[in-house]
Amino acid sequence: MKIGILSFAHLHAEAYAHNLKALPGVELLGIADEDRARGEHFAGVYETRLFPSCEALLEANPDGVIVCSENARHRPLVELSAQAGVPVMCEKPLATTLEDAQAMMEACERAGVILMTAFPMRFSAPLLEVKTLLDQGGLGRVYACNTVNQGQMPKRYRDWFVDKELAGGGSVMDHTVHLADVLRWYLNSEVVEVYGQTNLIIHREAVDVETGGLVMLTFANGTFATIDCSWSRPLNYPTWGGLALDLIGERGVVSVDAFRQNLTAYDNRAEHPVYLPWGSDADGAMLTEFVSAIREERAPRVTGYDGYKALEIALAVYRSAELGEPVRL
Amino acid sequence: MRVGILGLGAIGAVHAAAWAETEAEFVGGFDPVPENAQAIAAKYGGRAYPDIESLLEDVDIVDICTPTHLHHPQVLQAAAAGKHIVCEKPLARTLEQGREMVAACNAAGVRLLVAHVVRFFPEYRRAKDAVDAGMIGEPAVIRLQRDVFQPRKAAGNWFVDFGKSGGMMLDLMIHDFDYARWVAGEVKTVFAKSIGTSGMEAGVDHGLAILTHHNGAISHIEGSWAYPPPTFRTKFEIAGSQGLIVHDSDATAPIQVFRHQQDEDSAEVPVPASPLLESPYTAEIRAFHRAIVEDSPVPVSAADGLAALQIALAAMESAQTGKPVTLEPLPEVGA
Repeated sequence: MKIGILSFAHLHAEAYAHNLKALPGVELLGIADEDRARGEHFAGVYETRLFPSCEALLEANPDGVIVCSENARHRPLVELSAQAGVPVMCEKPLATTLEDAQAMMEACERAGVILMTAFPMRFSAPLLEVKTLLDQGGLGRVYACNTVNQGQMPKRYRDWFVDKELAGGGSVMDHTVHLADVLRWYLNSEVVEVYGQTNLIIHREAVDVETGGLVMLTFANGTFATIDCSWSRPLNYPTWGGLALDLIGERGVVSVDAFRQNLTAYDNRAEHPVYLPWGSDADGAMLTEFVSAIREERAPRVTGYDGYKALEIALAVYRSAELGEPVRL
Repeated sequence: MRVGILGLGAIGAVHAAAWAETEAEFVGGFDPVPENAQAIAAKYGGRAYPDIESLLEDVDIVDICTPTHLHHPQVLQAAAAGKHIVCEKPLARTLEQGREMVAACNAAGVRLLVAHVVRFFPEYRRAKDAVDAGMIGEPAVIRLQRDVFQPRKAAGNWFVDFGKSGGMMLDLMIHDFDYARWVAGEVKTVFAKSIGTSGMEAGVDHGLAILTHHNGAISHIEGSWAYPPPTFRTKFEIAGSQGLIVHDSDATAPIQVFRHQQDEDSAEVPVPASPLLESPYTAEIRAFHRAIVEDSPVPVSAADGLAALQIALAAMESAQTGKPVTLEPLPEVGA
């Protein structure tokens, strides 16, 4: 099975390239990148072929591609892949507008190819364990959820992460979609109301998108949930950030942290302690699912539709923050 | 200064222990359950009074530790008697009551000190000092979390009687509403959701609130009576333009005990405890006593108690109506 990567604009392309090379029966066919120098660099790092264009890569008959362009530039690459009849996994958020997300879903549906959204938290071992517990009724009815997906301001990785046009916004666009998706998955219910407040205090000298965000979601089944999506981790924090949920139910409370399985390491030569993660790799499991879905010609466990629904929620946060009122979906 | 306590339940007993550490003369207290007042007198001196009137005759300061709905009439009564007052939080059951109480104390020329004890907990105090010193720059996103079990009482559990206590959001979350305002300034809007917390012996009481401050900071407040006893867990973080302060009571508990036998003797009412040489309740009562003796300002004024009450009531209203609530400026707070 041959998988290609379209664009290295998103840094997750690096993790995917690394993971693909380790998957049995999978070959990293090559990469394409509109940034020639970046493409050459990563083709060298991962010892793979650099195609002159995405079209050229798609002509080389990949079994699937991963789209890692800037958020606002997912659509053309997904449509191109669909036209070539190639299954796609697209980086989150699926797009920056619902029109784009809808067009991407339709293109893949018309072509009869898989569209998977890269939501690695669906494959996190701790989160999966809690999903099983919930499905077995271990918590009874879930009344409320207090969730956090905070991180460092990501400008140092890529400038476009803080570009309103290319990223679609700041911390809300970057972080809300993960927990919006986890909550939909956990609760088997859709969001009916969204309230959000955002601000730009942290890093306001460096960026012009929001860095602070608090969100309240209400689900059709009555459950309410907050999301803290802030880029509130200082640049010398021991890790990039984290994702965790407290679920308050009929039978008690469950707390789950997707990134707690770390060693803490102190180094005389380092400015701050660092975490050495030892938990299972969710990215690897997500790619395994993509490859299995292609092989078995079935829908993946997390789809383009899931990406669309999460985007719908993130976009509603911006609307609510502007209005100062909750908005209905 | 002679001091007596009105209401000798869980908090009244803690306050009695705290007053015993001060130079005030503790005269005893009144409780509708005479045994409660007798037990305190046996331990800290003074006597069990037969009624409020006789207690008020004997004191300069009355410390009101009764259920929330009684604060209003009792504070008015004490003010009319010309006594300085320490009043347990929340100041009152409604904003109108609170404003009347503040006005009555002002008119009578007596001090009204509201026992927002969280301001005297060293971890909260230390964080506030660090913020004031500029350590994290300007506060931006504040998270405050207080997770405990639903208060239990052998009889007359007023905590789960909405009319009396106002439920978990007024009784418990008010601590963190006060702290959020202390750290990040006046609050403009409140949006909140809750489950239970209207009494009815509900098994679960839980609330989540998002506050927007006038200076642009936003706060996330969680309060819970949804945990099993003996849980008392607090967490907070204050993220600012230059850094982050994080606290987790589980992570900072200096003692862990692993017993083969489970204890079933946990308290009726959750009271936080980390080993300290001076209890935060004692620090609070000392500060209040000093303020009254010296006629000096206190770290938590009647206006602060009123402002915290306003935020909590707004959160309850928002949870009820599903709409954000915009706070009217309070003349008493001068904001």
